[in-house]
Amino acid sequence: MARVLVADDASFMRQMIRDIIDQEGFEVVGEAADGVEVVEKFTELSPDLVMMDIVMPKRSGIDAVKAIMEIAPQACVVMCSALGQETLVMEAIQAGAKDFIVKPFKPESVLTTLRKVLEKES
Amino acid sequence: MDLAKYRTLFLEEATDHLSEMSRALLLLEKDAEDADAIDLVFRMAHSIKGMAGSLGYDSVTEVSHVLEDRMDECRTAGRVEGASLALLFRGLEGLERMVEIVRKSGTGPPTDPELLAGLRAEAAAPEQVPATRPETPPKKV
Repeated sequence: MARVLVADDASFMRQMIRDIIDQEGFEVVGEAADGVEVVEKFTELSPDLVMMDIVMPKRSGIDAVKAIMEIAPQACVVMCSALGQETLVMEAIQAGAKDFIVKPFKPESVLTTLRKVLEKES
Repeated sequence: MDLAKYRTLFLEEATDHLSEMSRALLLLEKDAEDADAIDLVFRMAHSIKGMAGSLGYDSVTEVSHVLEDRMDECRTAGRVEGASLALLFRGLEGLERMVEIVRKSGTGPPTDPELLAGLRAEAAAPEQVPATRPETPPKKV
């Protein structure tokens, strides 16, 4: 069972991601509400995958990806973006993120992306 | 999707966000270059847009999107012009009304074409807007 860390400043979004992936056998091992907390939780929990919002307080999701890549260059990070954030998504991919999903989330699309990223990395 | 559960989460979080947005806008009235306040309003508008989009509340999504875009410009400029502040207060009042409709009716609020057209017009021609908060009280719903 893949262990997932979910980072989003909105508890609404964290809950939605949890509900989507819990049904499919992923285990949400932790949640983070800002870009500093997600790096701390990553270090503490060593998840298989991080779902990372782009717009977060304290530190953006892109900066958090860069910090995580310094700690673990092989880390699997999937960005959670909104329409209109294409440039930021590209920046995150260049920083090391493996893929992205777009809000509003379509459950099947989220699950397909997570499976694809984890299969590639296994 | 358990709509009732997510509607409750939306109401709690959107209400908090709008209060924070209101406080930040008051700070920006005093200091137009308050970077933390600019960033906070941007994030609150972005977050409300995301939640509303997930629930299909298109009217809320549209208004918050206009505010988010304007705040993104303000982040780049490093300050909020008076005209933008007027737009932001108007948008805030519109979002507060819409969230109240969700609270009372349990459904998505109807589109407010007048508000949206006004916000978009102000965003397109900010120099024509008075640099103060709107004097008129929020429209009754």
